[in-house]
Amino acid sequence: MWETGFLRKIISTITGGKDSRESALSTSDEKLIETFINENNESAFEEIVSRYVDKIYGLALRITRNPNDAEEVLQDVFLTLAKKIDTFRGEAKFSSWLYRVTVNASYMHLRAERKHETDISLEDYVPYDENGTLMGRVASKDWSERPDKALFSKEAMEMIEKAVKELPESYRVVFHLRDIEGLSNEEVSEILGLSVAAVKSRLHRGRLFLRDKLSDYFYEWSR
Amino acid sequence: MAMCKDVVENIIGYIEAELDDKTLEELERHAGECPECQAFVRTYRRMLELCGKLRERTFVTPQIRRRLKDFLKSQTRSK
Repeated sequence: MWETGFLRKIISTITGGKDSRESALSTSDEKLIETFINENNESAFEEIVSRYVDKIYGLALRITRNPNDAEEVLQDVFLTLAKKIDTFRGEAKFSSWLYRVTVNASYMHLRAERKHETDISLEDYVPYDENGTLMGRVASKDWSERPDKALFSKEAMEMIEKAVKELPESYRVVFHLRDIEGLSNEEVSEILGLSVAAVKSRLHRGRLFLRDKLSDYFYEWSR
Repeated sequence: MAMCKDVVENIIGYIEAELDDKTLEELERHAGECPECQAFVRTYRRMLELCGKLRERTFVTPQIRRRLKDFLKSQTRSK
C-alpha cells in the first residue's frame, strides 16, 4: 500500500519535519495506530516513526554490534512498518510488536551475513567460590563510591558499552530490553518468545557477568 | 543461616522488594555482617543506575537519517 504522499510525510518526519504532529504527542502508541488504520491519518504514523527511530536503531545495534548492520536493520524495519502496520491487530502492545519485528530483522540479518554468534551459556556463571562465599572477591574492587562525575563521564560510559558488548548475544538482548529500555519481564518474554522464568534467569546471569566486568574495568581504570 | 551465595542468587528479589519477610530477614542479617555482600549490593545497584543512563544516548546521526530518507525514496520509485 505505497502512496507517494504518505511516504513523503514519513520522510519529512525522519529528516526533522514537524507538520501537524503536535496534537499526537501525548497520545498512546495504540491510539495512534488505531487512528492511522481507521482514518489513514498520516500524522499519527509520523509520530510513531518519530518515537521509535532511536529505539529501533539502538536495539539493532545491540544485537548486531555493527553500525552498518544496524542501519540496514533500521531500514528493513521501517519498510515493514510502512507495509504491514495495518496487520497490527492490537493483541500485544504496539511497542512489543515493533521490538519483535526489530529482533527478528536483526537475527535474519546476522544469519544472512553469516555473522550469527555461537552463543555462550552463562547459566553456571557465579561470582562466589565453591563454598558459596564472596570472600576477597568484591570489596577490594568496590567502585560504588566513585563520584558521579567520574562514573557518568563519557569515558566511563564507553567502558559500560564495552562491557555490555561482551555479554553473549542471548543475554545481551534481554539485558538491553530490561535494563536499558526499561521493559517488564512479561514484555521481554513476549518480544523474545521466552518464558518469564527464562527472561529472569538470563537477566540475572547477565547482570552478574556485567557487574564483574565493570568491577574489573573500573578497578583497572583507577590504578 | 544465609551466606553470600544466597544474597547473590536472591539479588533481583532483594532489589525489587519481592522477597518474603523470613528470607529478607536472613539475608539482611548476613549482609549486615558481611562487607563483601555490602559491596556486592552497592556495586550491583550502581551498575543498574549507570546502565539506565545508556537509554539517554542516541546513535542515530543526521547521516543515518539522510540515508534512511534516500532508502525510502528509492522504495517509492521502485513501486
